[in-house]
Amino acid sequence: MSAAIVHACGALATLPLPWPFEREYMQLALAAGLVIGICAPLIGVFLVQQRLSLMGDGIGHLAFAGVAAGLLLEVWPIWTAMLVAVVGALAIEWLRSRGRTSSDLALALWFYGGIAAGVVLASRAGNGGLAIVPYLFGSILTIDASDVRVIAVLGVVIVAAVAVFGRALFAIVVDEESARVAGIPVGAGNALLAVLTAVTVVAAMRVVGVLLIAALMVLPVATGRVLSRSFRGTMVVSAAIGAFSVIAGLFAARQWALAPGGSIVLVAAFTFATVSLVGGRRRGGLKAVMPGTGRAEPPDHDDHGHHHG
Amino acid sequence: MTTPAVLTAHGVSFAYGGDLVIESVDLTVAAGEFVAIVGPNGSGKSTLLRLLLGLLEPAAGTVEILGERPRALRDRWRVGYVPQRRILDLDVPATVTEIVASGRTARRGWWRVPSRADRDAVDHALEAVALADLHRRPVTELSGGQQQRVLIARALAAEPSVLVLDEPIAGVDVESQRLFRDSLVHLVEHHQTAVLLVSHELGAVASDLDRVIVLKRRVLFDGPPDALAATGVNLGVHADDLPRWLEELAP
Repeated sequence: MSAAIVHACGALATLPLPWPFEREYMQLALAAGLVIGICAPLIGVFLVQQRLSLMGDGIGHLAFAGVAAGLLLEVWPIWTAMLVAVVGALAIEWLRSRGRTSSDLALALWFYGGIAAGVVLASRAGNGGLAIVPYLFGSILTIDASDVRVIAVLGVVIVAAVAVFGRALFAIVVDEESARVAGIPVGAGNALLAVLTAVTVVAAMRVVGVLLIAALMVLPVATGRVLSRSFRGTMVVSAAIGAFSVIAGLFAARQWALAPGGSIVLVAAFTFATVSLVGGRRRGGLKAVMPGTGRAEPPDHDDHGHHHG
Repeated sequence: MTTPAVLTAHGVSFAYGGDLVIESVDLTVAAGEFVAIVGPNGSGKSTLLRLLLGLLEPAAGTVEILGERPRALRDRWRVGYVPQRRILDLDVPATVTEIVASGRTARRGWWRVPSRADRDAVDHALEAVALADLHRRPVTELSGGQQQRVLIARALAAEPSVLVLDEPIAGVDVESQRLFRDSLVHLVEHHQTAVLLVSHELGAVASDLDRVIVLKRRVLFDGPPDALAATGVNLGVHADDLPRWLEELAP
């Protein structure tokens, strides 16, 4: 299947699409953008339910350090970013599962450590570190066919992983303790989700940049949860909104000569704001993207403490 | 007793820091038995339950579920667990069926696609708690009592051998209590499921229990409800008062 998708993405460059996608560079941008627009919310829906909406942001900062290391070592930055992001994601998950380090503190450590390491490493690389800018803010319009192929393969990995492991991940993010009692490997599931987040971040780096990656994982989900009544429905609607954001964002970028990464995210944000205002009566629209507001009361045990086994 | 024990604790103790909250607890639950642990706030009920489930390790003593140490038990889905929750804590909407079906994931094999038998088990669990008509509703639109029944159905979907429930009737309306009682009695009588209910109050199930265990750090009473009543203690008494009564009766 992956070969077919990669081939389709390569062939897209020759399709007779209407304006604004009639040029090859716009078709490559569209292919890469659609993969990310669909895949990022598929992972994001699990992160939002787990109250780790900012996980993608933390890993994005780590990937930034990985890109800088790649530029310094003259290795293709995708691979170094992938290595650093996956190792960092597993480290974040390990810290979180230890229980005593709260998620936001663990993320803050990586936020600042990652961006600082990236800045330092980039300053030592050639071109005064300018080569890192496309990864910081995205440069979807300069993506070439080999980038599209890598993004497509990563997209296939993400969709396949969600298809196979999605039900177990759902059981974990809805009720971790009950999943643990039932014998679902909660530690492995959480580690898998962290790795999938890292893969998504690396795949999305060139599309929207590390600074805006988390937005594509969270904003479509925030919209999807207002419009849907089921978890599966939220996944489908979120992926559709992600794809719509990419198409509309690229359209706006071409029409008005705007930065495409920022345009895509602004479309996602505008869609969320509109849907929240119009249809948000059912659910607290902003709850999903405002860190700290979604934490519900813990189960009140009649004992002295609340321990996770 | 000829029925095999499915849940046992021998001399189990546990402390938070230096504070002993469970002291030398012995208990046994057999297949097809309906047992309740009652006690006041802070009596160690939830801690004991977490020790029995393997979520905590005892400082002393041993726990066995279905003949194995909890963490060594391979088919863990055979232990159903209904956690103490007033509402389901969902940021992303999920339907009643999605939540109940998630209880079947471990039994099916967490990487497998649901089969016809899996879907039938989910339907049966929904019928057992009278939620079949609401199966497409988002869980967050249900009342507290209905949500509690969703969690019970989730545990039932795996068709467990042992069902452990933590404060399942706290804050639940009378109609939900009745449905809850009916589904537990059905499990015990027709499926030989062992049911262990940890509760602050017994509510609708008081007359159906095989045994009552009164806990206040240690076991103050373990026997049939009739024997507890024979001590002069009224089961209708609020759980906070039960240990005081029993301690006053003790020689």
